Amino acid sequence: MNTLPTASIKSLIISCIISIVLAIVILLIAILPAEFNIDPTGLGKKLGLTVLAQTSNESVKAAVISCPEVAKATDGKTEAVAWPDSVMITVPARKGLEYKFHVDKGNKLEFVWKTDGAALYFDFHGEPQGNTTGYFKSFKESTLSESSGTLKAPFTGSHGWYWENKTNHAVVIHLKTRGQYKIKGLM
Amino acid sequence: MILTKNSLFTLLLLVFSSSCFAHGVDSNTEHFLTTNEGSAIVPFLYIGAKHMITGYDHLLFLVGVIFFLFRTRDILIYVSLFTLGHSFTLLLGVLAQINMNVYLIDAVIAFSIIYKGFDNLHGFKLLLGKEPSTKIAVLIFGLFHGFGLATKLQDFDLPQENLISNMIAFNVGVEIGQCIALLFVLTLLGFWRRHKSYFAFARTSNTLLMTGGFVLLGYQLTGYFTTL
Repeated sequence: MNTLPTASIKSLIISCIISIVLAIVILLIAILPAEFNIDPTGLGKKLGLTVLAQTSNESVKAAVISCPEVAKATDGKTEAVAWPDSVMITVPARKGLEYKFHVDKGNKLEFVWKTDGAALYFDFHGEPQGNTTGYFKSFKESTLSESSGTLKAPFTGSHGWYWENKTNHAVVIHLKTRGQYKIKGLM
Repeated sequence: MILTKNSLFTLLLLVFSSSCFAHGVDSNTEHFLTTNEGSAIVPFLYIGAKHMITGYDHLLFLVGVIFFLFRTRDILIYVSLFTLGHSFTLLLGVLAQINMNVYLIDAVIAFSIIYKGFDNLHGFKLLLGKEPSTKIAVLIFGLFHGFGLATKLQDFDLPQENLISNMIAFNVGVEIGQCIALLFVLTLLGFWRRHKSYFAFARTSNTLLMTGGFVLLGYQLTGYFTTL
């Protein structure tokens, strides 16, 4: 039987220790930071490995973070807030979502939105209140990375966007609005 | 005689063949698995073969098993035992809908690599005075490898229609993949075996094999505890 040149308890123990130590080093420095964002040594972050754990995270959920623009005091005068409602909406990779406002007929919804880079397919539309037939009126449909304008509601109901992220990365939309409406939010 | 035995094994392989997909089922494959309806022999053959060739934990275990096997007949026996174990639990797991935690199963697979490396270093002989039957160990680990696959496959909610024919196609694919992988591993080891360095480096090789096992073990256990 072909076998090891020599076999002794001592060399066995050395082999075991080496393999365990080596495995721990590989795990701590590379695998845990890159795969799980667990970085006990801090080296993973320095090497830039923890980035992998963040971007490869498929479980990014649709999220809305409101980020009101604080009125800035300049020269003792308080400047009017340009956009009273400002939100960051995260659209997960390969997912779509709706963000809506309730606007009464004739009221205005002024808006400006921009993504953090990628263009998104969107459908800006309104659904009359109380309508259960699934009818909706589309105001604008396109694939862009930014858009702005003013909607004068043709009817009372739910108005807003359907955004679809066809990329493999989560996309964040910064949406700013003003006018006469009630925020319904993420649908 | 040997020929008859070999053909018997080949037949067994074709009927029972096996495998384990536990780890890397990529998103395209996943998409196919969940949307596929009815019989799809060739795609399942392909997925099985791909799984085996890209499954580094299987490959490491395979290297460990054949490291000190030099006769074709021995290699065939061990690989067939592994395949039998695999196939049995894969079919049983999917058909009886036995579901286990993928991370834990993969941790056992990682452990099997450590076990084989330790065995190759004569760890058991030195500590216990005798080696446990490698054939039984290979069969047992084959059973675990199969459960890993069965568990993973069930997560995809496979259509019941043609389930068995698809499973068998997958198994045969795994066997094809295993043969291709073996061919590469044996060719490489074969060249190396002609040199003295093969034996001089046997300890290093098996120490590295155990390292790989420990790394996978740590990875799977971390995965298990972070998803609890």
